[in-house]
Amino acid sequence: MVTEQTQQANSKVGSAGTTLTTTAVGSFARPAYLTKARSEFSQDKIGVDELRKLEREATEYWIRVQEKLGIDVLVHGEMERGDMVAYFSGEKGGNPIKGMKLGGLVRSYGNRYYHKPIIFDKLEYPGPMTVEMWQYAQSLTERPVKGMLTGAYTMVEWSFDEHYPSRRDAVLDMAKIIRAEVEELVKAGAKFIQIDEPAIHTRPDEDFQLAIEAMHATVDGIDAEFHTHICYGEVEKVYTEMIKLPVKQIHLAFKNTDFAYLDLMRKYGYPEDKDIGVGVTDIHTRFIEDIEDVKNGIRRTLEVVPPERAWILPDCGLKTRTVEESEQKLKVMVDAVAAIKTEMGLS
Amino acid sequence: MQTTVVGNYPKIPNRPSPARYRNALNKRDRGEITNEDLAQVGDEVTVEVIQEQTDAGVDIVTDGQVRWDDDQTYVARNFKGVNIGGLQRYLDTNTYFRETEITGDVAFESPSLVRDWKFAQENSTRPVKAIVPGPYTLAAHSLDKHYNSREKLALAFAEALRGEIDALIDAGCKHIQVNDPVIVFNKDDYPVFKQAATRLLNGVSGAETGLYTWFSDCAGILGPMQDLPVDVIGLDLVWGKKNWDALADVKFEKKLGAGIVDARGTRLESPAEVAEAVERLARLMPAERLIVSPSCGLEYLPRETAFEKLKVMVEGARRAEGVPA
Repeated sequence: MVTEQTQQANSKVGSAGTTLTTTAVGSFARPAYLTKARSEFSQDKIGVDELRKLEREATEYWIRVQEKLGIDVLVHGEMERGDMVAYFSGEKGGNPIKGMKLGGLVRSYGNRYYHKPIIFDKLEYPGPMTVEMWQYAQSLTERPVKGMLTGAYTMVEWSFDEHYPSRRDAVLDMAKIIRAEVEELVKAGAKFIQIDEPAIHTRPDEDFQLAIEAMHATVDGIDAEFHTHICYGEVEKVYTEMIKLPVKQIHLAFKNTDFAYLDLMRKYGYPEDKDIGVGVTDIHTRFIEDIEDVKNGIRRTLEVVPPERAWILPDCGLKTRTVEESEQKLKVMVDAVAAIKTEMGLS
Repeated sequence: MQTTVVGNYPKIPNRPSPARYRNALNKRDRGEITNEDLAQVGDEVTVEVIQEQTDAGVDIVTDGQVRWDDDQTYVARNFKGVNIGGLQRYLDTNTYFRETEITGDVAFESPSLVRDWKFAQENSTRPVKAIVPGPYTLAAHSLDKHYNSREKLALAFAEALRGEIDALIDAGCKHIQVNDPVIVFNKDDYPVFKQAATRLLNGVSGAETGLYTWFSDCAGILGPMQDLPVDVIGLDLVWGKKNWDALADVKFEKKLGAGIVDARGTRLESPAEVAEAVERLARLMPAERLIVSPSCGLEYLPRETAFEKLKVMVEGARRAEGVPA
């Protein structure tokens, strides 16, 4: 359902007219009561309604935090998602893509394990997977809330594939599914849709073109502003191709690499019709950056891109930080942006 | 013809079986149990995974590297000059390892692997192969703040790792596998790889030594690799399809660690598929020089799938030999 309020809200912030637009990347920390509820839900100790109620409570909390801090374009916080791929592939309580299921546990590092999804049959769209939560989040605020999806390449790369003869077949079928979800989000009124592709540079020589083709298949001809988040990995190897992705904005984890990506932008250029999402706080550290440090990062960025085209955000999702750390990291980001705007006389 | 695994084995089973090692690590981190208690669970789980490999019919087993977080840090953390740094993505996977930071001269102090190997061998009816990280891979995955030279660092690691290998041989270990996969992604560095592997293994006697690679092929370097002082060369014949042609093109004189069962995919091969791959290899070299294995360590798979794959692998290998499984 598109409310008039939503439409107004979304039209307030666009790429025109504002400078150093602030946003977040996707996930936030789950409050303790929700972590507990998810564990109880997984053991059938509470029902789905109870879980949904608590997810909404936590979502509202994060919407209010972002509003209070004055962030421009909001995220809903992904309280309902365990993992960005598994959520679409069979996490309990979700609406999984047909042809996918969760497999057994595999270790990602240290003592961390996850249920790696399996593609076991032809992929088919199961109907809206993220629309209800987006609508709920958007109903809470006049500021625009981004629709949040995982891109086709990453969905396939981070799953086992027992069905398709090639990665290409799987990725292109997956793109049709993600496109169907994009269309539903747009129908519901979303103006900003972020399609995360953190695995995009896994095999730069072998199939980066496939990732680009999949993004085209996902977004071409659809009227919304698309962003993509690409984190870590060897961005330098894919940079010149990556900037051809058919999206309005690419975010990168600038802070984690001490703004080395600015050198790539200087050396190879950055398309004038694209915005750049600049990560200014490191999400892997507990320590909260000093405001001067964050301001300095923004200043360095503005030597390369005009403030109209620079969006300011944390390096990545904040779900691995605590609630307090997440809020502090967002706050120092917002404070730094305000200070720079004052300094430079920006609107 | 023999069968083996390429090192690691999934540490925990799925529900309803208890995830004992994971739970024990969590308890240790919360201070509820001591490091000694954790080591005890590590031993028990090691016995369990040796038993699973044995039940599957594997000839040469490993301790499953149950206690290892990753290949990069388990041994190197005990070397002088090495600190443990941040998480890095492991090659083209969605798994991570901790980077080693090199802050001074790298040197061997005391063995990290002998106790584990002895314990595993005492608890196994099959020979237990010890796993040693490769010097080139350790160097390539380090943040070098000291040598400022991949070559110098790789040679320093080789020197230090030789201490581990000598200690393993003194302890009676008869099978040693060196994991050095990164060379397949950096073939231009072959001269450095060769020097490091030579320093690590030259003159080693008393054990069968192997150099294992995975995730891609050794096309272009497989010929020169015949000159390395090593008995077995391990190739990934699933993710490195070009290895098939490379094998046909070179005079392959070593034993072949033939990675023919996909350890990165859950689709279960049939024994017939395995047998066919083995027969194809047996046309290139005598079957007694084949050591059949998964394509890499099994930790990318859920535990139950890993076990099923090993059973199929052994059955297929026996079928190719004409021996009833």
